Amino acid sequence: MKRRRASGWIARGVLVAVAAFAVVPVLWTLLNAFKNRVDIVTPVPLLFFTPTLDNFRYVLGRASVEAGLLNSIAISGASVLIGAILGLPTAYAVARSPRKWADDLQFFVLSLRFLPPVAIAIPLMVIWLDLGLYDTRLSMIVTYTLLTLSTIVWLAVPAFKRVPREVEEAAIVDGYGPYAIFFLIALPLAGRSLIGAIAFSFVLVWNEFLIALMLTTSDAKTLPIVASELTQLGRDVPWGILNASVILLSLPPLLFIGILSGFLNTVVTKKL
Amino acid sequence: MKIRISLPAAFVTPTVLVLGVLAFVPTIFAVNIALENRDLSHDDSHYVWLANFVSLFSDRRFVNSIGVSFVWEVLTVTTTIAASVLLAILMFEATSPRIRNILSLLFIMPVLLPRVSAAFVWKFAFHPLFGLATYPYKAIFGQSIDLLANPSTALATVALVDTWQWALFFSVIVLKLLESLPPQPFEAAKLDHAKTWEIYAYVALPMLRAPLISLTFVKMIESLRSFDLIYVMTRGGPGITTETLDMYAFSQGFIEAGNISYASSMAVLMMIGTTVAFTILWKRVRG
Repeated sequence: MKRRRASGWIARGVLVAVAAFAVVPVLWTLLNAFKNRVDIVTPVPLLFFTPTLDNFRYVLGRASVEAGLLNSIAISGASVLIGAILGLPTAYAVARSPRKWADDLQFFVLSLRFLPPVAIAIPLMVIWLDLGLYDTRLSMIVTYTLLTLSTIVWLAVPAFKRVPREVEEAAIVDGYGPYAIFFLIALPLAGRSLIGAIAFSFVLVWNEFLIALMLTTSDAKTLPIVASELTQLGRDVPWGILNASVILLSLPPLLFIGILSGFLNTVVTKKL
Repeated sequence: MKIRISLPAAFVTPTVLVLGVLAFVPTIFAVNIALENRDLSHDDSHYVWLANFVSLFSDRRFVNSIGVSFVWEVLTVTTTIAASVLLAILMFEATSPRIRNILSLLFIMPVLLPRVSAAFVWKFAFHPLFGLATYPYKAIFGQSIDLLANPSTALATVALVDTWQWALFFSVIVLKLLESLPPQPFEAAKLDHAKTWEIYAYVALPMLRAPLISLTFVKMIESLRSFDLIYVMTRGGPGITTETLDMYAFSQGFIEAGNISYASSMAVLMMIGTTVAFTILWKRVRG
């Protein structure tokens, strides 16, 4: 029994170390975002310093960051909205259709994820250039709809499958039509999981980098592109500003951490 | 008279049309561009058919990038799966449900970060002079170390960031899977005086075979998206030691030559390779 307890403490020690490994780099970035440059460029990392808001003030005051933020919100928001409006009904129909058929459609949706982003971005660049839509929000929204729509369908099918059929059968007896059942019964019942699926697709496009890098040059640049440009600055690297911009870029996805971990619970415990 | 459209038709057709157009039109264009000699700086172009593909195979950088991509794929998939299973078992064995929930939240955080952010956070942590991760080495040995500029450590260092994001996330999933298992087989094995590792190796993990294979499959697909990390952390360097296929295609098409036909021919090969490989894998896994 004694050996058991010792190994338990070792395991807990390892887990504490891993938890530190998970969090410390990000916390350190957060800390650096409040430092003056002299406090970052030190031979020994500084834990105590006089905090400053200059970095955030500078980043938020920059026109490029503001434009990137607006583009990211507009592009991610619109593509997620379109993905949800088209994808949720599809997922419902697939969940209620014969298995073979549903499997094929699920595989088609998943296979879109096999396509390397470069392989999509190169031809799309040519297509948008030919159409005169290159570097516009519209072309980015259409492109990202491919990502959001396929992801939402993929994740929402299992969510609708978990809605008990008996409830829908009872609704038919009560005189509900198929569309009424979808809007009034299935949608609200699967609601929590569906919000998780939608949040996931939002994080996916908010974080997307390669396609945005190739399909935008100035007008429609999203926030990840603007942030990466800041990280490529020359010699006198403004480290504090970089840290601040990375923190700002990472905040929206982290806001969803609660929803997504709840979503993970329902997906793993009832499916897979 | 009211026209009635059946629900499956009304709900599925628009999505299939949109996805079909958005997926197939670019694919056809990609093949078409790959057969031409398009250039970003010139307007005129004509068909050169398979010339791009032929020159790819005598291109040493292309062959190198296949090797780098392959090493990257194997390295990140194996470390992610191994580390996540190990961490999940540790959590399952040694912590109370409340601690588990806290750890789960912390472990999900890295994967939610934009890869650009993750790449920057670690690029700075590995900074030879001011980095937090390189500080202990500097303090002990009195000299700085630059892991990202060293050809023999650069790829592994970037892979560490990928593992940081995915292994921690997967460990939460594997933990939930372990929690969903029925307790009887565990108790039976304990009555037979099985050691802890034996319970997992011979009882628990075989019961989780199917979901673990699915996780491996998902990670294999996600590992193909290494571009953001490599672009921010090393740009394919030092030299070409971390230049994966997508990084090389990007630099051919956009940084160096503007030769998008050549880049597109690489993209087409990648597309064929991954689609064939993953379709076969998926069908085999799903039986």
